[in-house]
Amino acid sequence: MGRPTHLTDADVAEFGRELDTIRDEVMSDLGERDARYIHSVLRTQRSSEVAGRALLMAGILPPAWLAGTALLSLSKILENMEIGHNVMHGQWDWMNDPALDSGTYEWDNTCPSSQWKHSHNYVHHTFTNIVDLDRDLGYTLLRMSEDQPWEPRFIVQPGIAMVLAAWFQWGVALHDLEWERIGKDKTWSEVGSQASLIWAKVRKQLLKDYILFPALAGPMAPFVLTGNYSANLTRNIWTFLIIFCGHFTDEVEMFDEAEATNETRGQWYLRQLLGSSNLTGSVPFHILSGHLSYQIEHHLFPDMPSHRYRDIAPRVQAICERYGINYNTGPLTRQFGGVVKRILRMSLPHRRKHNTLTEQSTVHTPVYAEAA
Amino acid sequence: MKPVIKKMLGSSFIGALASPLSVDDYLGLIDRRLSVREPRGRVVSAVRQTADSVTLKIEPNDNWQGHHAGQHLLLGVDLAGVRHSRCYSVASAANEPLIEITVKRNGNGRVSNFLVDQAARGQLVYLSHAEGDFCPDTRPPAKALLLSAGSGITPVMGVLRHWAAGGDLTDVVFVHYARSRADMIYAQEIEDLAARHEGLRIVCVFTAEGGARIDDATLDANVPDLAEREVWLCGPSGFMDAAESLIAARTREPIHREQFAASRREAAHGEGAVQFLKSGLAASGDDGSLLEIAENAGLKPAYGCRMGICHACKCRVAEGTVRDLRNNRVREVRDTDIQLCIHAAAGDVAIEL
Repeated sequence: MGRPTHLTDADVAEFGRELDTIRDEVMSDLGERDARYIHSVLRTQRSSEVAGRALLMAGILPPAWLAGTALLSLSKILENMEIGHNVMHGQWDWMNDPALDSGTYEWDNTCPSSQWKHSHNYVHHTFTNIVDLDRDLGYTLLRMSEDQPWEPRFIVQPGIAMVLAAWFQWGVALHDLEWERIGKDKTWSEVGSQASLIWAKVRKQLLKDYILFPALAGPMAPFVLTGNYSANLTRNIWTFLIIFCGHFTDEVEMFDEAEATNETRGQWYLRQLLGSSNLTGSVPFHILSGHLSYQIEHHLFPDMPSHRYRDIAPRVQAICERYGINYNTGPLTRQFGGVVKRILRMSLPHRRKHNTLTEQSTVHTPVYAEAA
Repeated sequence: MKPVIKKMLGSSFIGALASPLSVDDYLGLIDRRLSVREPRGRVVSAVRQTADSVTLKIEPNDNWQGHHAGQHLLLGVDLAGVRHSRCYSVASAANEPLIEITVKRNGNGRVSNFLVDQAARGQLVYLSHAEGDFCPDTRPPAKALLLSAGSGITPVMGVLRHWAAGGDLTDVVFVHYARSRADMIYAQEIEDLAARHEGLRIVCVFTAEGGARIDDATLDANVPDLAEREVWLCGPSGFMDAAESLIAARTREPIHREQFAASRREAAHGEGAVQFLKSGLAASGDDGSLLEIAENAGLKPAYGCRMGICHACKCRVAEGTVRDLRNNRVREVRDTDIQLCIHAAAGDVAIEL
């Protein structure tokens, strides 16, 4: 399926060593400038939240409502993407700052951090793109790979995807419940204890955005309520867009369990790289995406401070060219276009299509010896 | 911060508005020294009395609950993005508004060198509450001996100032060991105190100018009535060990020794021994990663990918020498979180498990 067949074991080992070198260089260089970067992101997120919520208190005026909602959306996006997700990966643990400690950080959405760290840091990042093991492949709601058997329910998956996008933080919150395992190797009492943690988090989030802040606004309550709802919706859709572009674009590879067992370090790097895709854009775009626009670099080095992915991407891309490995990147419109096509294509029972990658690929050496 | 504002900021209503962040996270937009509960401070003055020391006066926020004479605190500073913490004795008297500490350069120590060379007015510092029972009673005994060396003078200074303020310097002998007068922190202030208080007798031994290290002869000559004196002792551990054995042989009065609460714990002895501090277990560090060693010892630490990616097995190491299995690099760690699955013991390791 996934692996490039033109590389020998020695090639793969050397490939792994080159990536290890990049990691070592960056990780031993962390210092003042990285600290200043994350502090400026924190300041931006917090001040835009304060300003946004304050403006919504005057929300009867359309400019105030629009500006307030925009600022609040910005702060939620920054907090979830650039701050929360990255802090929980341990990217900023080296600072010894209790406010940025992956062990204790709680992020600003309905998903309890402990369950996110399990389903994302552990399950998704260890079993990346392995069909049947990586639950992020479709989130059990969508069929995203030809290797997932087709079921009639997938016919409506374009609609399901849109609902998921609008309610994405709820999908994320419930993701670690692993409902498909209930009754098999998961007991109802395990579900129960997870569910109470989820409810405890959900309660606080709902209280804050839909009861307390509106109450504080007195007569302006309806504007604060709609503003908060719109900010949550905006964040949901944006995060859905970025996250789905990470592993579901046209040229991304999926893997089966057999070929991913007993991986060497080089093979692990290869699976992470081939299973991810990047987005091109401006620096503000990258920051807003939590640097998940550098999904490849993030999957190679999940605990490297995110802004460093920008620095190492040219080197990673150069290594891929030298080894004849596909480095999947493109603008948001094209990449998300690929995601939409995949959702539509997979909604119908589908036989493996002809491999058109050798025609599309810009790499001279064929990546695959035969049709996947 | 006005008490009424403080109370409001600490209320559960405001906490619910800030959730899941803390109120401190927003207060930091105004001033990093502000906090609802955490003691923090800013350096108000930094005076370099000797070539390799700095005396800092720190203005704490209103979460600082004061201290007793001779206590110490854990001071944190951000250096090159990383927060480092060290213990320092509080030298100021208990009723002074500013906290005074004196830091002496400690070899290549990161924090001491930074503070001695670069600490300046405005520097933000993180504080802990005062700890330690070096001097549990507020009033001195009838006869006292204060014995210190080098930077050990700092808690003694705190005790002396406290007793002086209370008019209690009736019969106190203070013996201090330093390289020379130029290297002695607080030299002038000690001499002034002795001049003003008849009951205080100072003996300074300058080892670079011919003074001998602590021994029987010096003690007997300078403190003939040692048997009647309650003793306070502070200095490098070698000095304290030597002094304590000499003193214990001469007096049955209490001997107070300054030990920092967060100081080095007893690391397991022997080659590459791993100690699990919370469960009281120990194991050989020879075989496998720290995660495997913990599991073989019967413990159940949290884990995930077991390959250094997901950080689920992160655990606090109080002190030890570890090898990173990914690149074979060995490093010494103290009060640091490390991933157990990708580290092995390269010496003694004490883990909080």
